[in-house]
This record gives sequence, structure tokens and C-alpha cells, in this order.
Amino acid sequence: MLNMIQAEMFKLRLNKSFWVILLTSLVLSAVMHYLAITEWWQVYNTPFDAAGLSEMNGLSMFMAPLFFNLMIGTLAAFYISTDFGPSGVIKNQIISGKNRKLIYFVKYIVYSAAAVVIAVLIPAVTGIILNIIMGNGGIFTFETITYLLGAYSLFSLQLLGYTAIISLLAIITEDSGKTIIFSILFTIVMYIVEKMPKSGIIERIYEYSIFQQFNQVLFPELGIESIMTGLAVGLITMAVLLFIGMIVFSKKEIK
Amino acid sequence: MSEYILRTHELTKTYKNHKAVDKVNISIKKGDIYGFIGQNGAGKSTLLRLVTGLNFPSGGSIEIFGVNTETGLNDAQKRMGAVIENPALFLNMTARQNLEVHRLQKGIPGKSCIDDALSLVELKNTGNKKVKNFSLGMKQRLGLAVALLSDPEFLILDEPTNGLDPIGIVELRDLIKKLNHERGLTVLISSHILSELYQLATTYGIIHNGQLIEELSLSELDEKCQQHLKIKVDNANKGATVLEEMIQTANFEVMPDGYIHLYNHLNDVYTVSKTLTDSGLVIEHLSQNGDSLESYFSKVIGGEPHA
Repeated sequence: MLNMIQAEMFKLRLNKSFWVILLTSLVLSAVMHYLAITEWWQVYNTPFDAAGLSEMNGLSMFMAPLFFNLMIGTLAAFYISTDFGPSGVIKNQIISGKNRKLIYFVKYIVYSAAAVVIAVLIPAVTGIILNIIMGNGGIFTFETITYLLGAYSLFSLQLLGYTAIISLLAIITEDSGKTIIFSILFTIVMYIVEKMPKSGIIERIYEYSIFQQFNQVLFPELGIESIMTGLAVGLITMAVLLFIGMIVFSKKEIK
Repeated sequence: MSEYILRTHELTKTYKNHKAVDKVNISIKKGDIYGFIGQNGAGKSTLLRLVTGLNFPSGGSIEIFGVNTETGLNDAQKRMGAVIENPALFLNMTARQNLEVHRLQKGIPGKSCIDDALSLVELKNTGNKKVKNFSLGMKQRLGLAVALLSDPEFLILDEPTNGLDPIGIVELRDLIKKLNHERGLTVLISSHILSELYQLATTYGIIHNGQLIEELSLSELDEKCQQHLKIKVDNANKGATVLEEMIQTANFEVMPDGYIHLYNHLNDVYTVSKTLTDSGLVIEHLSQNGDSLESYFSKVIGGEPHA
């Protein structure tokens, strides 16, 4: 499996789209943080305010699926779906006799790692560095760093559930354009579900979905129950979607 | 160990109501260069896709290197190389980078195999040129290099000469023959260009409408294609003696079914027939037989020369 991960990492390293998205994330997060720190962009009532990290409010945009999906949905399109495109490179992987479930699992691992770097690590690290450079280093105390680590660990777990959904979408559509369109549609639908009045069962399902948890897990002073809920929702979503993806891929007829 | 590299048993692939491959039984022995002949849409690529695991059979089974379990087939595929339809390449990478991806995927230690494969297909000097800027022939050769990277025992090539120029075709043919002779590589090669296969294959399978119509060796094919007079007389032994003594030829065979195949005097049918008759033999059948590979193929599939 290690050699397959190495191969996927090699592919990712030579994938231009990955570097463009990475650079976009870097530039956008730097701009957002700068605007938030200088209060040109005024954002209030964020989880970071509650945690005493108002200077990190520039992260708010990166917490919204509608926004981060534009980057990681595009990455899935140009990293996973293109393997099924006209180049047909997925054929070589299957012909090589590797277990299909393992091929899918490795793609998911590498894609998810790249997604965490783009949607979590870069915005967070950029915010920390920019705040230190702009003289706000004092906000990073033991308590606030502990909060950031805890909140971001739980957020990353939800993100792993989300990348499992997008990976599944990418292998079903087998087309970069469709993957981008369907992932955007999917997040819009989830946004509408979030905003519309919900009846009992729908409300309950949404409450225990990663989309609700993306917001929940960032609030400071989460109770043990909320932390456990965040852990369970993220892990179960990831495990179930990953399992479905592996089954779908192992039964898939390659064109 | 099985003497067969590949065997299929009643292999079937159905798409909705269409049988793309219909109960096909093929057998490929170690060291064979198996030419898979069929028209476009006959089912060649579908069968190769089933063998390489890209598609799943609707019925029947596949046995590679003597195993037919799912895990066994996965392991067997590690000893194979294949180019199915178009070569599957990363267009934004160089030739060397393409091979590096596949080296890592297959877990081949050391990078010397990359140089070896590039040398073998004469692409060692492509440098930093991206594959998207390669000619179709160069892509075909790189696809072959990918397939040969792990030094496979069994190579599957689907229409490998598509896009190759005449020199490229000759080079590919020579390369396959060389690998077959020197490394004992078993090859399954599909094509609808019969003249090309005829110069390469040692065994042939003819597929039509998803069904394997005939499987025959090169010598059997030669025999069927060689022009000859097919003669049936009431006494085959006496007929043979007359041909030797009166017509003074030894270039004939008495077949197990009693027919005599005479490979010369094709333009002298009158003399042959008169000599046999004058010797007291009764001629029951006399015809001129033998085909070009194209016309033989056409006859077998029951249509006009087309392939």
C-alpha cells in the first residue's frame, strides 16, 4: 500500500491544478486574514470571537462548505475524475492487479490529505503567521492554541467525511466538469436545507450531519456530549461513505 | 504448473440484450503469440477487457496462469502487461514521469527498469517533452513501455499498430518477436489488420459477433490458405503413386480424410486429371482450393472480405 500512496503523491505533486488551488487558498486566506485583522472586513459573532480570537475571524469563510468546496471539489475533479477521462490512466492501475478497494482507499487518503492542507492547514497557518507579523502574537495563549487544535481536529474529521462524499461523486461522474457541478449543487442543496424550516425527522438528521457539525465543532467550551457527537458524526460519515465508495469502485465497469 | 497462460471457459459478456462476447473458450499456451482476429465490433476489445479485469463477465470464467479465483486473478494480473485500446498515459507528464508513476504503483524497486523500458521502445531521448506533445506512434510506444515495465510474462495488446507509421509497425513486430524469443513472453495481440498479424502470430483465434469461430495454429492456417488442387480418387494410395511416377511430383499430401492436396501443377488441371483417369482411377472430386488470409477470414465469418 505504501508504494501506491507514493505513486498517488507523485501524481499529486505533478498535478498543476493542485498547485493552482493551493496557491489560491494561500492568497485568499492571506487576503481574508489581512482584511479581517485591519477590520476592513468586519465579521462578528463567529466561534473565534467567542474563543477570544477575533483576529482569526478571517477563517470564517473557509469554514463554509459553499466556499471550501470550490477548492476541494475542483481538486477532486482534476485529481480523481481525470483518471477516468480520455487519458484512461485508471485502466493501468486496475490492470496492474491491485485490489480495487485498495486503489480507491489510497486515492481517498491522498486526496483527503491534500484537502486538509488546502482547506484547513493553509488558512489556519496563514492566519497565525499574519497575526504574529502584524503584532497580534499575544492572542496565542495556551488556552487559545488548545482551542484551535481541538476545534480544527474536529473540523478536519468532518472534512474527511465531506471528502468521502466528494470522492464518491468523482468516481460516479467520471468527469471533471460534472464533479465540479454536482459538488456545487450538493453544497447548495445542503445550504438550503440548513436555512429552510425543517420538520422533526429532517431536523434531527441534519443536526447529526457533518454540515451541522462544521459549525458546531468550532464553538469553544464544547461539552463532552458535543465533542462525542462531533467525533461520531465525522467518523461514521467517513467510514460509511468510504465503504460505499470502495464497493461502488470495486463493481465499476471501466470504460 | 499449467501449460496454459490463459484459458476462458464459456466466457460471456452481455450488455442489456446484446451479447458482446458469447460463450468464448480460448486457450493460449506459454510462448504463444496469439493473434486475435475480428472485425471492428466483433468482441475483441471486450474480451481483452474481461481478461484484464476492466470489465466483469456476465457468465463463464477466466483462468490466468492456472488460477481462476478473484484473489488468484489479481495476483496473476501482476504478471501481465497490457495496452487496451488507447495507451493510458498522463498527458501532462514526460515519458519518464509516466513510467515513474507506474513503477511506484507496481512497487518495482530501483529506477533502472525505466531506462530499460525507454530504451526498448526507443524513447530514451524525449527529455522533458510532455506526452501531450508526442505523436500517436510515440504514445503507442510509451504505452508499450508501461506494459513492459514490470517485465511481464504475458502481454496483451489491443490494436497496437493504430497510429504507427510503416516503420513503426515493423519495429513493433520485431520487438514483440524479440521479446517472445528471448524472454519467452506470451503475447495476445488483437488486430483487424490481418497481414500484420500473419507476420507475427503463431496461433490464431477468429471472433465474429462475439463468438469464437475458429482457433488454429500458424501451420494449420498456412495449410488452409495455401493454394492447392484438392483431389479425391477412389484409391488414394494409387493416386499418390501416379502423382509421383507419372506427373513426377512429391509436392502433395494425402490427408487423413483421403483427399490429396497437390501444391503445384495448379495451372495444369487438365493434365493432372487426364493422367489420373488414364491410370484407371475414378476422380470423385477435383477443385482448386486455398485462400489469402483475408479471403479465408471472410469465408470463415461468412461474409465479404472486409477485415
